[in-house]
Amino acid sequence: MAKVFLMIDGRQVESEPGKTILEICRDNGIDIPTMCHLDGLTDVGACRLCLVEVEGVSKLLPACTTRIQANQVIHTQTDKLKKYRRMITELFFAERNHICAVCVSNGHCELQELGYKVGMNHVHFHYLNQKCDLDASHPWYVMDHNRCILCTRCVRVCAEVEGAHHWNVMNRGVQARVISDFNTPWGESITCTSCSKCVEVCPTGALWSKQTLQGKMEKHPEKIAELMEKRKMSL
Amino acid sequence: MNRQDLQLIAEQTNIKHKQYKHKVCVCCGAGCIFSGSKKILQNLQDTVKAQGKKKDIEVVPTGCMGPCNEGPLIKMMPQNTIYQKVKNEMVPAILQSHIIENKPIEKWLLFKNSKQKPFINSLQAPFFKKQRKIVLKDCGDINPESIEDYIVSGGYKALERVLFEMSSEEVIAQIKQSRLRGRGGAGFPTGIKWETVNKYVADQKYVICNGDEGDPGAFMDRSVLEGNPHRVLEGMIIAGYATGASKGYVYIRGEYPLAIKRFELACQQARKSGLLGLNILGSTFHFEVNIRIGAGAYVCGEETALIASIEGKRGNPRPRPPFPAEVGLWGKPTLINNVETLACVASIITHGGEWYAQIGTPKSGGTKVFSLAGKINYSGLIEVPMGTSLREIVFNIGGGIPGGQKFKAAQTGGPSGGCIPAEHLDVKMDYENLVALGSIMGSGGLIVMDETSDMVDVARFFMEFCVDESCGKCVPCRVGTKVLYDILTKICQRQASMKDLEKLEELALFVKATSLCGLGMAAPNPLLSTLRYFKNEYLNYVNLQAALQPS
Amino acid sequence: MKPKRNLDREFSRTDPCVKLVIDKIEKENYRPDALIEILHVAQNAYGYLPMEVLSFIAKELRLPPSRVYATVTFYHLFSLKPRGDHTCLVCTGTACYVKGAQAILEELENKFHLKPGEVTCDKKLGLRTARCIEGCGLAPVVVVDEEVLSNVKPEEINDKVLAKMGVKV
Repeated sequence: MAKVFLMIDGRQVESEPGKTILEICRDNGIDIPTMCHLDGLTDVGACRLCLVEVEGVSKLLPACTTRIQANQVIHTQTDKLKKYRRMITELFFAERNHICAVCVSNGHCELQELGYKVGMNHVHFHYLNQKCDLDASHPWYVMDHNRCILCTRCVRVCAEVEGAHHWNVMNRGVQARVISDFNTPWGESITCTSCSKCVEVCPTGALWSKQTLQGKMEKHPEKIAELMEKRKMSL
Repeated sequence: MNRQDLQLIAEQTNIKHKQYKHKVCVCCGAGCIFSGSKKILQNLQDTVKAQGKKKDIEVVPTGCMGPCNEGPLIKMMPQNTIYQKVKNEMVPAILQSHIIENKPIEKWLLFKNSKQKPFINSLQAPFFKKQRKIVLKDCGDINPESIEDYIVSGGYKALERVLFEMSSEEVIAQIKQSRLRGRGGAGFPTGIKWETVNKYVADQKYVICNGDEGDPGAFMDRSVLEGNPHRVLEGMIIAGYATGASKGYVYIRGEYPLAIKRFELACQQARKSGLLGLNILGSTFHFEVNIRIGAGAYVCGEETALIASIEGKRGNPRPRPPFPAEVGLWGKPTLINNVETLACVASIITHGGEWYAQIGTPKSGGTKVFSLAGKINYSGLIEVPMGTSLREIVFNIGGGIPGGQKFKAAQTGGPSGGCIPAEHLDVKMDYENLVALGSIMGSGGLIVMDETSDMVDVARFFMEFCVDESCGKCVPCRVGTKVLYDILTKICQRQASMKDLEKLEELALFVKATSLCGLGMAAPNPLLSTLRYFKNEYLNYVNLQAALQPS
Repeated sequence: MKPKRNLDREFSRTDPCVKLVIDKIEKENYRPDALIEILHVAQNAYGYLPMEVLSFIAKELRLPPSRVYATVTFYHLFSLKPRGDHTCLVCTGTACYVKGAQAILEELENKFHLKPGEVTCDKKLGLRTARCIEGCGLAPVVVVDEEVLSNVKPEEINDKVLAKMGVKV
């Protein structure tokens, strides 16, 4: 297939057509932070961390859902983008109650890493201090809404990979919460298969295994891409 | 039904109408119904019957006539005399004096209580004189529940012409020439949109009519759907023909039961008359329309969210590209146009694109319907050529500000728009000029504010709206609008410092630049525009002491 | 907590309200994309959306419960709680806001000790707000049951609502 050429951050790169900007950046070692994106799942363009500037387009475009076009000139690391990425990260922290010191994911948390990566040293905005519940009704897993950033990876993995459609999001705006079934306790769910995929893909300490100590929850979201890859294999 | 039958219906209905010597139109638009026009209609019908004048006087319920706050309104034809604030006890007197004695009753005439001199022919009043009605042409004159009435006033003629005399390319060429732009707010050229959808090859394409008019203070789409549903339907069928779509969806707000009812009826009538369904008017073109009812979500006015909602899901928008013209409803190429846009189509086909383009400005053709409300003498529904100045709308048509107050600002575009201050009263209303002033055309809501309005509180009012209506999918809109709202509240409570004010502006620009859909991108507009024109009001609120206190 | 079963009677397929829902589902040919249309019918039948009915609709349309609940809670016209015998709806659109809807709302809140979306303890009156009922020419507007009150003044609203509820003032 004919290759297309484009400029990213002043470098000429080539690729097959039809890829997304994010894919091509990762192929070429250009680092763009992401949160809602996960290899193996459908992209939704919700976290806005991967926004890039494309010359000739007035708005910023999410790298994860935008497909490349030949001869595009793309900037991924401008001062403006870096500032916006930091602000998004601050808003993540301001939205709910992220206290790393007591979190099971401390040290293995994608949100924490993001904070370091974008150079966030403190949150400039006041905290919303939302009251959120914790659902520990499942025999093995816990859902702590205080640490949820609504990336919806759990919702997508449950629907697209496991096929159980156990999770979804209720309400809207800042009231939005991840729910199980009819907003029923997880432990009473009739649809959950307890496959643990949602726990593995959760970037923060919102979903975790019981009996895990502070800082000991390590997850393997990369398994999903492997799973999807293996699905294509024949026996 | 075929082409000849259409002509026949027109002639027969015309003869029927000619039998009557007088016609009394009763406004049954939402505003007048709220004021009790249904009772007046019943009363008129009963009185006419009781007096044995059923053969002479025709009583017709119609769509919105315009000046809603003077309702209930009735219009006496053929003199075009409108009586305002009609009460049951006035009905016999009006019939006796106006019709039988041919003496209009001056004390009840429209605009009697104002400084304006009332006119026997109400259309001579400045409120009407400066208007140019295309979308609202038959609104207020014909019975919206009668397809015959629409046909008699030239309805479905354009469709007939399109089906038998024009190719889809020719239709698109006319629309392009007319310089018609999307009336939902963003102002994308309609002809180009049609052309794009037409270009894609697919086994199924869709036309969606967006009637999810969510802006508070905007009721144009509702009035068109209630006052002349067939006009929208005709526009949709033509759009289907031009783009190669055979299915259409009309998405109407659940808050508009009357609009839903009337549009449903219009579809039934059209289906019965062979104007909808298979082989329309005997041609080879098929088109079917379904109605979808909204359930109270402002974000569903955004086209990708609208599609999700029609598919029966949460109205979450998705990133564009791909645009719905390529990947739309159920993944198929889809044309989405606003109610008002589609209501323009029939006239453009009838009179030609060139005619329509000449009415407006070089960049925006035609007319725009505005709903005028707030601190203004005559609120209601108006239609003016693009490029009419704000001053003309507020002071000539709207009759100025009541109570001897001064004009402070006009808010356009609802929660996605901004405020236009008094120094820009002479702005010519079109898409570009309003954007340059930090507002948008929006769907056409125009709320006038006088000196008593607190602009910081106005910004807070709209921000609260956006917090509540944000779908919660993307972070800048979900969290950003809430933080903005909290800062605005702090300002209103006089507890904010200059630093908060700086943060407010920085965050507003951030939300505008990074949000996923139009709602988030436009949510900071009311804030940014009041900050631009009324910064001193913000400064008056800032607590100079707060900066000194430890945070 | 479990979702509270909140239907005031036993759920039965022969219930006339359920009948309406079934008719609609059949008319829509069990298409899952008709979910919102079906919810409208259910809400009109019951005045709100009881959990038993949601559960039934999910089963009939073969939709995951989470998807049904997510959709219901997204749209503001749908209510999961029963409404009062009388409803007082205050329009908080822009035109009404400019003309003082907030004062009217406060007046009602103080009188009936209600916040928008709540119902009085005796279930007699529910207070709601609307984004805009597009009666802008008549602002500020309050709708009590089906009657539209226009150009409302804060000092008269309580009496008007009480009169509508049949309470002598």
